Amino acid sequence: MIESGFDRRDFLKVLGWGGTAVALSGCGNTSVQDGKETVVSYVEASDYMIPGVSVRFNSTCTQCEAGCSINGRVREGRVLKLEGNPDSDINRGKMCGLGQAGVQHHYNPDRLKEPMLLNGDQSQSVSWEAALKLINDKLQGVSGDQIAFLTGTVSGHVKALLGNFMESVGSKHHFAYEALSSAVLRAANKKSYGVEMPRYSLDKAKVVVSFGADFLGAWVSPVHFSQQYSRFRKGVDGQRGVLVQIESKMTLTGANADRWLAIRPGTEGVLALGLINALGAAGLSLPAEVAAEVKAYDKARVSKETGVAVGHIDKLVALLRTRTPSLVLAGNGPDGFAQGSENVAAINLLNQVLGNVGKTVEAPVSAPFAQLQATNGDSASLYKLNEGMARGQYKVLFACGTNPVFSAPASLKVAENIKRVGFKVAFAHYLDETAQQADLVLPLDSSLEDWGTHIVAYQPGEAHIGIQQPLMEKLHANTRGAGDILLALLKSRRAEEYKAFEDYYAYLRAAVLQNKAALGGGALDDEGFWEQTLSKGLIRVAGSSAALSTSTVVAAVPVATAENPDYPLTLIPGITPNLRDGRYANQPWLQESPDPLTTIVWDSWVEIHPKKAAELGIAEGDIVEVISRTGSIKAQAYLFPGIHPEAVSVPLGRGQNWGRYAKGFGVNPFQILDPVFDKQTGELALNDTRVKIKKSGKRVIVIKDEGAAGGKQMGKKIAVRASTDEVDLSKEV
Amino acid sequence: MSVTNLLENWSQFRHFHPVDDKPHDPYKWAMSIDLDACTGCNACSVACYAENNIPVVGKERFSHGQQMHWIRIERYWDEDQNAVGGRDFPDQGAQFLPMMCQQCEAAPCETVCPVAATNHTSDGLNSQVYNRCIGSRYCSANCPFKVRYFNWYDYPSDDAWPAEMSQQLNPDVTVRGKGVMEKCTFCIQRVNEAKVKAKSEGRLVRDGEIQTACQQVCPTSAISFGNLVDTESRVHKQWEAQKVELDKDKQEKDEQEGGSKLRGYRILEELRPYPSVMYLERVRESAV
Amino acid sequence: MKDINEDIAWAKINQDVLKSLENPRKLYWVIVLSALAVFSVGVGCEVYQYNVGMGVANLNNPHVWGLYIATFIFWIGMSHSGTLLSAILHLMHADWRKPIYRFAEAMTTFSLMTAGLFVMVHIGRLWQFYYSLPYPNERGLWPNFQSPLLWDAMAIFTYLSSSILFLYVGMIPDLAIARDNIHEGWRKKLYSALALGWEGTDRQWRNFRVTYLTIACFLIPLAVSVHSIVASDFAMSQQPGWHVTSFPPYFVAGALYSGCAAIITLFIILRYVFRFEEYMTLPILKKTVRLTFAISMVWTYLNAVEFASVWYSHDEASKAVLIQKATGPYAPFWWGMIFCGSVVPLVLAIKRFQTSIPVLFVVSLLLNLGMWLERWMIVAPTFSHGYYPWTWDHDQWPSLVQWGMVLGSFGWFTLLFMIFCKVFPSVSMYEVKEMVYHRKLHSKKSESQGAH
Ligand SMILES: Nc1nc2c(c(=O)[nH]1)N[C@H]1C(S)=C(S)[C@@H](COP(=O)(O)OP(=O)(O)OC[C@H]3O[C@@H](n4cnc5c(=O)[nH]c(N)nc54)[C@H](O)[C@@H]3O)O[C@H]1N2
Ligand code: SF4
Ligand code: SF4
Ligand code: SF4
Ligand code: SF4
Ligand code: SF4
Repeated sequence: MIESGFDRRDFLKVLGWGGTAVALSGCGNTSVQDGKETVVSYVEASDYMIPGVSVRFNSTCTQCEAGCSINGRVREGRVLKLEGNPDSDINRGKMCGLGQAGVQHHYNPDRLKEPMLLNGDQSQSVSWEAALKLINDKLQGVSGDQIAFLTGTVSGHVKALLGNFMESVGSKHHFAYEALSSAVLRAANKKSYGVEMPRYSLDKAKVVVSFGADFLGAWVSPVHFSQQYSRFRKGVDGQRGVLVQIESKMTLTGANADRWLAIRPGTEGVLALGLINALGAAGLSLPAEVAAEVKAYDKARVSKETGVAVGHIDKLVALLRTRTPSLVLAGNGPDGFAQGSENVAAINLLNQVLGNVGKTVEAPVSAPFAQLQATNGDSASLYKLNEGMARGQYKVLFACGTNPVFSAPASLKVAENIKRVGFKVAFAHYLDETAQQADLVLPLDSSLEDWGTHIVAYQPGEAHIGIQQPLMEKLHANTRGAGDILLALLKSRRAEEYKAFEDYYAYLRAAVLQNKAALGGGALDDEGFWEQTLSKGLIRVAGSSAALSTSTVVAAVPVATAENPDYPLTLIPGITPNLRDGRYANQPWLQESPDPLTTIVWDSWVEIHPKKAAELGIAEGDIVEVISRTGSIKAQAYLFPGIHPEAVSVPLGRGQNWGRYAKGFGVNPFQILDPVFDKQTGELALNDTRVKIKKSGKRVIVIKDEGAAGGKQMGKKIAVRASTDEVDLSKEV
Repeated sequence: MSVTNLLENWSQFRHFHPVDDKPHDPYKWAMSIDLDACTGCNACSVACYAENNIPVVGKERFSHGQQMHWIRIERYWDEDQNAVGGRDFPDQGAQFLPMMCQQCEAAPCETVCPVAATNHTSDGLNSQVYNRCIGSRYCSANCPFKVRYFNWYDYPSDDAWPAEMSQQLNPDVTVRGKGVMEKCTFCIQRVNEAKVKAKSEGRLVRDGEIQTACQQVCPTSAISFGNLVDTESRVHKQWEAQKVELDKDKQEKDEQEGGSKLRGYRILEELRPYPSVMYLERVRESAV
Repeated sequence: MKDINEDIAWAKINQDVLKSLENPRKLYWVIVLSALAVFSVGVGCEVYQYNVGMGVANLNNPHVWGLYIATFIFWIGMSHSGTLLSAILHLMHADWRKPIYRFAEAMTTFSLMTAGLFVMVHIGRLWQFYYSLPYPNERGLWPNFQSPLLWDAMAIFTYLSSSILFLYVGMIPDLAIARDNIHEGWRKKLYSALALGWEGTDRQWRNFRVTYLTIACFLIPLAVSVHSIVASDFAMSQQPGWHVTSFPPYFVAGALYSGCAAIITLFIILRYVFRFEEYMTLPILKKTVRLTFAISMVWTYLNAVEFASVWYSHDEASKAVLIQKATGPYAPFWWGMIFCGSVVPLVLAIKRFQTSIPVLFVVSLLLNLGMWLERWMIVAPTFSHGYYPWTWDHDQWPSLVQWGMVLGSFGWFTLLFMIFCKVFPSVSMYEVKEMVYHRKLHSKKSESQGAH
């Protein structure tokens, strides 16, 4: 297989294992779990296709970046339902609603089925051969600096192939864009803890103080954290874990808190420093430089700036003093401001002074293979690309599985700038806003019919390589996986190196088997190991555990954005568990599944605090215009008690112009976000847009599951609440 | 065809009742739902759509209240929230409650159905016979929980599952036509599969062998399901520990002076439907 | 004033009544065609609903029942008029009923037939309607005898068949008169067949009287039970606002009330259209009006009883429904019901108006409107405000499809009634003669008494 002039190191790189010691010992694979003999690999699927009998395949959920391992039920060659794979440390057999809707992505009637040339409103089907030839032609004579590749977060062997492809065209311009990213958090964590993503152990904490981290809804790895949460609530010996959530707009996690504190938008860092100061005053020993730093943050000042009552600060301090260990989290609330990095740093400092680092903030295990590890998307990378496009730098642009035309603020003019690129190729599932701008659209396989490997950024247990395998035959004959497309492109430039791989499957198989020993399959023959890997749907690898730095890093003082009387309110875009950045809005279960907090379906809404609404004369269902400096949107008002009166919130994810279940439903608040950026990382400050509200005079009936009683029980004993001193959890089953 | 036939067949309708001296045997399916664990995430509801071929009705029909979710997640705010002089914020969060058919032992929906299309099974479920139902909707009118969902339209032919989408439908569950009442079945297809398997192996269904779709997916494991007759089952142990008895309309523990420290309760118990779903109260920390 | 003039010749009675069977005037055709058009609207709505699904009625969860059931009860109530006038007043020897009972009986039959339509259009799977009937079948599948809906089905069938029988039997002597006065054509054949060879012999008269009396006796409990059973559809349920012990008598009172009101309306129309002034006299109208007033007060009392018992009970849910009726989105209709049902009838207490045709016409229509509102206010508010607050829905209103069918039912009823009037004598000739005869005897008696 290995030709002369193509050494082993190159070969490993081709297969994605470059840059690591491959002699790592694996943790060893156990045989397929007892009693689950129906979990099989797709390779010999036909052996299991018995009419009327379900078979199950393990694979990886690609609906969000958490990368849960899934167990798909297949009958008569059709995938019916996605369930969780119990073997995964991430989700242990559980799933979220978004993940389950993966089948509706797969079977979606609006999927692209043919490669297409687009020219304005005209479209024309082309063959794959013609499409690939066209790409190669366009790449001819173009320098690497003129070629850009835009993806979302990407990991695994597709990433390796992508890297190799970019190298083959001499380009370093791979941009990974995610509109909703944890880049600020990661950067701040790196400074505070020495690692970008430590492991958070809610189930070891007695108190969790979360600053806007919606870990039960849409933050990092929600299914994993939900499981931890339920153990945390059960606690040890009936000593139930306490959750305090501090945020300006109530998230699903906030709705489950023992105490929910509404904070003035952007002042989270101030509160964190104030808490450190108060903890010091309550007897917690603080490093001298920290004590000096926070001295100015006395309770009265902090309370005034943040709007959190002194009484609540006192109670929280008392709680944190008496119940240890605790865990403090910083999420999508505090990090979305110009001072986002400072906010997070201040919150992280709280963890440090409380001594949580090493206890509930633990060293992460990272998978050893650099070439496969996740390249995490962020928004700063899009802005870099965008600047290049505006300059007319790029002649060829590839966009794969990402939709910046929809999700970038209108003021950045991505849609205009993209027109300046000579030739645009979109690898896409749907003809979404970005694909509509392309010259060539390549239809992708769904993740339920494609091969792949994933190494997710947040590894909660041992390091996992998630295996993605088809659960059924391709639904449409003419779609392809991104891996296959990249492989084909690579073959036309580096035929020699890739000729051994007929397709991406062959490549992936060869790659895994090449590294069999390191992946723990030393004792098995190739066939046996491959089969076992596919049945398990994941490979555990012994990862290296990065050490956490425990030294306290004094945070810079966060300065909140100045008031602006013309735009008196802060717009906090809602990140909902189901719709996120909107890429899956065309999955009808997600549209009809009520938003947990408002129970609204199929539409956008503007959350306004009832007091603010009364002040502005707004009633539920009034169509209001939300006006920022850079644009405006109109949506129905919903009077929502879980929002700070100085903020309004509109959920992200709706307002697409494509798809029968998405088009025409709701509005897109991404479009009106101000171009405010986190000063340290250059990330878009998602929560730092100032707006004003205008009534349009129209009123509609809000379509929601909640009835006329408006979430009141009217004195009936329906959803009952007890306080901890009234119950005894220790004797529960 | 004879009168004897009539009397015999008909008298079997309401044979099982919790206050009869003959309890369900060997199975009585029941649930418990821990509201302190439930986060209101809606995953269970989506799972139920996937498992039970529930049609998505779309915006227009949802606006007419014609949605079909067999399990809905209700979100409650505290009563003094925002009332005059009340608190500004829901500062102890919201309360979420998954509500599906409570599989009442003395189900108000059953007695009123003119054709006995909804009736009681020997293992204590409220069953719904689609091909027998004439669509009078009396059952729904009399269900105190309002968890019955009527097929106001002919979803199979109304493009609820266009083109490829229909391939997702679970072949173990029928797709209901217009004019038929439906509701949560405790995933009867899963129950039956396990019962048949157990029977063919000459044993009873073991605890944990059946997971309802909502239970299976729930990220916080808030839902337990099992056989209340089986003293080894988790559900039995939970009901026992919480001192909630199936055949009571008032639990003894609630009569005690000062109340009990137990969290288990059933909703609208006072109407005496004897629900088969026990909820565990949500808890909130008093120290903060 | 006299109920009827004693010197009307018997031949004139025959002539006058049979004249109503003659070739219709233009007005008649206008009414028939309008009724047909209105009925077609209803048919169109039903065809649409049948094809597309019940959803087009704008029903939902929790509003699973709507105008269909409300209007069903309304028509069942209407049907009580005939039974009241024929059977009850017959047993009470109230002579004044004689000129008007025939059309009242026809009303009973036709309103039952109209009510039946609503049971049909209401169910989701009309094509499986027969599952609800206890027909013998090989599978041993029976309907649920516990369900008031089944009792309904049976009671209505029984009541309808008995009413038809009562109407028919009571008509036999008149059919014979018609047979004897008409000399050719289809009418002759029809009346000959239906008169069953009536000769007016003594034996026939004796058998006739016994039969008629028996059916009358049978019909009274039936009528009471029918509306009690309809009341049970609600009272037997567990829902707040419905779970009321007094519902059966309340429903029966309401039924008699709306029946009486409808009699006044039709009395006025027939009197005008068929020039029946000599038979449908003002004194008779006055008696009917007084009866109606009495019943309206009974109804008002029972209403008050219901409200009071809800108010003073500890059933918070029912109380909430009551408050909701009076203050919520249904309030205009609920107060409309109170106004039409309890305030408007006070007009009837005023002597001057008891014989004022225009006033009575308007009042009777208002009373019927009130009675229809009553039924709607029984059905709908409970759905919007039941035990389970999460599902409260105050924004769901009936669609035009529902209204179309309600309208269509009036067309259907009118159509049946108009056909009946042209085919059968709508005033009982033999009983009017009896009445005139009694009247004569009476005046002779008083003359001879006066001579002393
Ligand atoms: N050529 C051929 N002929 C066969 C067979 C074959 O394999 N090939 N199989 C044979 C066998 S095994 C069988 S069982 C028979 C089946 O023959 P049938 O018994 O005729 O079965 P179905 O066609 O299912 O028809 C049942 C009818 O009952 C109605 N129905 C459903 N529910 C109810 C209800 O609650 N009440 C009432 N009254 N009606 C209801 C349905 O609408 C339907 O019209 O066919 C036999 N004939
Ligand atoms: S959290 Fe949900 S969407 Fe994300 S990977 Fe897991 S199951 Fe899929
Ligand atoms: S899946 Fe579980 S946690 Fe989520 S709403 Fe349902 S019961 Fe609650
Ligand atoms: S909850 Fe409603 S539908 Fe379910 S058994 Fe009870 S009454 Fe019937
Ligand atoms: S809708 Fe169906 S199940 Fe319900 S009462 Fe009517 S016939 Fe019975
Ligand atoms: S038990 Fe089954 S049918 Fe019932 S709500 Fe859960 S998933 Fe749906």
